[in-house]
Amino acid sequence: MTDTPLTRAEKRQAKRIRRFDNPWLNPKLIWGAGLLIAIVAMGLLGRVFWDPDLVFTGSAQLKLPPLGFENLRGQSGIMSNPLGTDGGGRDMLALIIIGAPNTLFVGLLASLIGMSIGIFLGFSAGFVGGRTDDVIRVLADVMITIPPLLILVVFQTAYGDVSLTMMALLIAGFVWQSPTRLIRAQVLSMKQSGYVQMAQLSGASTGHIMFREMLPNLVPYLFGSFIASVTTSIVTAVGLEVLGLGPQRIPTLGRTIYEAINAGALIQNLWWWWGIPTLLLGIIFIGLLLINLGLDEVSNPRLRRLS
Amino acid sequence: MADKPVLTLRDLSIEFPTPQGVVQAVKALDLTIDQGRRVGFIGESGSGKTTTALAVMQMLAEPGRVSSGKIDLAGTDVLALGEEDMRKTRLSRIAYIPQGAMNSLNPVMRVEPQLWDGIIAHEGKLDRAELKRRSDKALASVGLPAHTADLFPHELSGGMKQRVCIALGIILDPELIIADEPTSALDVVTQRQVMQTLKDIQAQIGSALILIGHDMGLMAQSVDELAVLRNGELVEHGTVQQIIENPQHPYTKDLISSVPLVGGESFLNPDRAAPAPQRASAEPLLRFENVRKDYGAVTALHPMSFTLQGDTPQIISIVGQSGSGKSTMGSIMLGFNPPSQGRVLYEGQDVQKMSATQSLDFRKNVQAVFQDPYACFNPFYRVNHALKFPFKRFGLAQSDAHTLKAMEEACEAVGLDPDLVLPRYPHQLSGGQRQRLIVARALMLSPKLLIADEPVSMVDASLRASILSNIYDLKDKFGISILYITHDLATAYHVSDYVMVLFKGHVVEAGPPKEVIGAPQHPYTKLLIDAIPWPDLHRSWGDGRADWDPTALEAEAARTAAVYRGDVAGFDLVRPQGAFA
Repeated sequence: MTDTPLTRAEKRQAKRIRRFDNPWLNPKLIWGAGLLIAIVAMGLLGRVFWDPDLVFTGSAQLKLPPLGFENLRGQSGIMSNPLGTDGGGRDMLALIIIGAPNTLFVGLLASLIGMSIGIFLGFSAGFVGGRTDDVIRVLADVMITIPPLLILVVFQTAYGDVSLTMMALLIAGFVWQSPTRLIRAQVLSMKQSGYVQMAQLSGASTGHIMFREMLPNLVPYLFGSFIASVTTSIVTAVGLEVLGLGPQRIPTLGRTIYEAINAGALIQNLWWWWGIPTLLLGIIFIGLLLINLGLDEVSNPRLRRLS
Repeated sequence: MADKPVLTLRDLSIEFPTPQGVVQAVKALDLTIDQGRRVGFIGESGSGKTTTALAVMQMLAEPGRVSSGKIDLAGTDVLALGEEDMRKTRLSRIAYIPQGAMNSLNPVMRVEPQLWDGIIAHEGKLDRAELKRRSDKALASVGLPAHTADLFPHELSGGMKQRVCIALGIILDPELIIADEPTSALDVVTQRQVMQTLKDIQAQIGSALILIGHDMGLMAQSVDELAVLRNGELVEHGTVQQIIENPQHPYTKDLISSVPLVGGESFLNPDRAAPAPQRASAEPLLRFENVRKDYGAVTALHPMSFTLQGDTPQIISIVGQSGSGKSTMGSIMLGFNPPSQGRVLYEGQDVQKMSATQSLDFRKNVQAVFQDPYACFNPFYRVNHALKFPFKRFGLAQSDAHTLKAMEEACEAVGLDPDLVLPRYPHQLSGGQRQRLIVARALMLSPKLLIADEPVSMVDASLRASILSNIYDLKDKFGISILYITHDLATAYHVSDYVMVLFKGHVVEAGPPKEVIGAPQHPYTKLLIDAIPWPDLHRSWGDGRADWDPTALEAEAARTAAVYRGDVAGFDLVRPQGAFA
């Protein structure tokens, strides 16, 4: 290593400069994305290397502890169920392989739909203005004041069993307000900006102005807002599932926690039953938080530090 | 006591350590300011004038530091003072009147308690009657009525806010007042009032004054001594008389000559190029038919009709203060803003009722240069996007190579190096470069009409003349008629063929510039011209004459009918009957 021309300090300096030039090389962003990708990879690889049928009731012994632990009955963990089993004999590893990506899927789909609605309504309100703006703004403001969980509980009880997609659609109805307001505000200020006027002078069509002049400048905001609404969606979805609502037959992290609580896992000291899904939820949220912090530094150069 | 120095700067150097290395903001500055003297610090942005002033207050922004030298304030070594002593020195001995006084007042506090804050911080709790007496005295001394004390900052006009800031500064009778571009956000009439106030109060309390600015005309009318700074170095120092009449340093000469004078030597290239290309349409290029614009209950523009033939290229200037309706006119012409009444016709077509093809043709032929060069480029794209896109959009591009060639030629025509400028992002260019690029953009499209809305007001003084002559050259070279919207009568005098003076949405005086600006007849035009500071020492401007009362003059102007001073061929302004309602 002695023949390398750069000292360690110089290398570190060069790395910092590179990071400053290319803000996407942000360690927070990389770590956050890494955590989420790990969850997805676990879901994909797990289906190949582990038996997903183990999520069905009675596919193994009941209430087995993870490897290296003993349960109250003195049984120790076995290789065929490395993370233990729940009160219905379902394998915990199979449960999280199926459940964690499901939870992430609901969050991503809900906020993707919510963001699309938000972008559409925000641009309409900001660009068209007048009565359209009034209607959209009042609607968004009213929706912000309504607690989504309350409405969703009523909805879900009425529907009974729902699919993951249906659940995502329902949640999407409650995460479009903040992107709408954010985009509306940005569009309103951008509409006055010199470069939009210049584009108008250049004979640009409305579509060009919206998508080629305005939207690129909104990208950092959109990303940030997207991540924030994924977080909200997952919190809402898990909240419903822990209450026993949402999909009844499909394993999700929230549903597993609900069953654990329902079966008295806390009293019986079956910590792995509720603990492992909680840990995974924690990882998802930390990943999202890191991405959000990273994006903040990308879109706001003042937060970037050179030293 | 008249010659005792209030402030002595000895060999003062200030540096800012940055990741790219140490930047020397001020280099070995030597200066002595005597009691009762007014000293101007003049130079372009980044010349170190504000930094020097802030160092005197020990208020340098992080990570700036004084690297060597001495600052002596009437016997006190400022740099040796501790935090608490320095706090006591600020305001009581050195007062600082900041640049954006509009934003320096606390918006949720009335004026009076803000004035008291300074007194209490230095003299402890006083009884209310005493505080009131002193704040009333300070307000009276800057010429504000006593009831101002109970108002909130948003209820005051820009000029009044600036005067409140002056009152704040002088309330403890400091030995030194530092005013950092105190009038840069005000229009000329208010500027003159505020400067008068500042000079009066300074003479009254007998303190020294440092006036920081970039306008040689304002300096010439306001200070006794001038210090010319450039890149942190003091290049010239002397009395105003010496510097204006016999500048030594070439930079000082540049600064003086960059101020255009009414009647002075023209900065334009006099040789006229080939006659303009013939227009296809027999209809007049632009026609205003009884156009009026209201914003709510306020009428920004009273009914106005004119016809611009456009057969011979002309520059029509529209001058007025902020709020006179001149920018409203510009946006109505561009079709951005529908008129409340009347029609705007471009070659016989109503601008508001055009089909898609007509609209594209209108956009190609009517172009604009806006005031703010910083906002005109989309930060997402390289600057060549702003030039390339319209060129392709209007179907002018034959091939990519042709577009590139056109862009390069346009850049060269406005004095920019295309290889250096075009592939950059907007934030990597200076304001002057960006504004030239916008002019180059207009040039590439060769429009028939160019609307230039304050094209040089946000550009450093030394660049104004060259950008204006770029625009002026376009007129003859490409046969473009230009509507020049400005508050600057001196430049309008030089570039235009016809001048309209706008006052509260009415035309008050119109005609050829030599008559309207050279020999104004309407009281409002006279008021505007009187308020411009020239670098001419024999003109009495801010000498504290009490008879110069803009409010009365404006009231008189509102009563006087419009004055029409002759016509030029190709532009026909319709004279309304019974000028004012």
